[in-house]
Amino acid sequence: MNRSDMAWQRLIKAARQVPREPGAVAPHGFATRAVAHAFAAKRPAPSLFEQFALRAVGVACLLAVLGVVSNYTMLAQSVPTHVADSFVTLDPASIVLGEADYE
Amino acid sequence: MPDDESFDLPGCLERVRRRDQAAARELVDHLYPLVIRIVRSHLPRRVLEEDLAQEIFMKMFTRIEQFQGAVPFPHWVSRIAVTTCIDHLRAQKRRPEFRWADLSEGEADVLDAVITNENDVAPDEAMAAHELVQKLLDQLKPEDQLVIRLLDLEQKTIAEISEITGWNGSLVKVRAFRARRKLRKLFETLERKERS
Repeated sequence: MNRSDMAWQRLIKAARQVPREPGAVAPHGFATRAVAHAFAAKRPAPSLFEQFALRAVGVACLLAVLGVVSNYTMLAQSVPTHVADSFVTLDPASIVLGEADYE
Repeated sequence: MPDDESFDLPGCLERVRRRDQAAARELVDHLYPLVIRIVRSHLPRRVLEEDLAQEIFMKMFTRIEQFQGAVPFPHWVSRIAVTTCIDHLRAQKRRPEFRWADLSEGEADVLDAVITNENDVAPDEAMAAHELVQKLLDQLKPEDQLVIRLLDLEQKTIAEISEITGWNGSLVKVRAFRARRKLRKLFETLERKERS
């Protein structure tokens, strides 16, 4: 053991003579405060509704897409071939000015 | 107290897992002496011991589902306490180089006495010696500080330190060796400065 080690040993021996602080009991209200903080921070397990709600949205979207796909042919048939022919647009301003095309 | 045999720890833990707040308060009261002892031994500067203790208990409750019983519950909690203290020590700014000028009159006298004399420090200088030890330990890495505090100040064995920290015996020895080497250098530097 060299000089420095011996110096440290003498110092630490003196430091050990300081009595330890008391305080083996939690201060009044400490446990309540600590538990309240911990339980507020700790999220409880999600309810059954919460667990299934998001999945239900996914399933509903999937069913909607499947519904559109399975009925696509019927939807396509109901739309006229010439979309422009099915709409007769009469511009009121053109009618007033006598420029409307009635053909 | 953690060594109070009348306390039904497994039963209490079971109730805490079922979110029984009364059981949680009992658990805090039971473990408080253990946690506060660790906090006081490794309290970083400018951190209130109660705040740190509360943070440790919050971590304990957050992770309580992960406790598998591989180690006794108080050991598991003491590891959380040690890790939390180390995190705080790491977060605080490193102290600048240790200088004689930073010491109080009492601390300087004690340092002078241990460096130059072969005799023990007088009992009335114990508090100054304790403060000086804290200042010297502040120069070490948090993990090394912890090992030296437990080993030299609290006179724990390597096995006990392993239980408290969760580090294996070899790692504790390596950290102690590294810390002592740094302390030796520190003393040598101080001795040179004192002579000059």
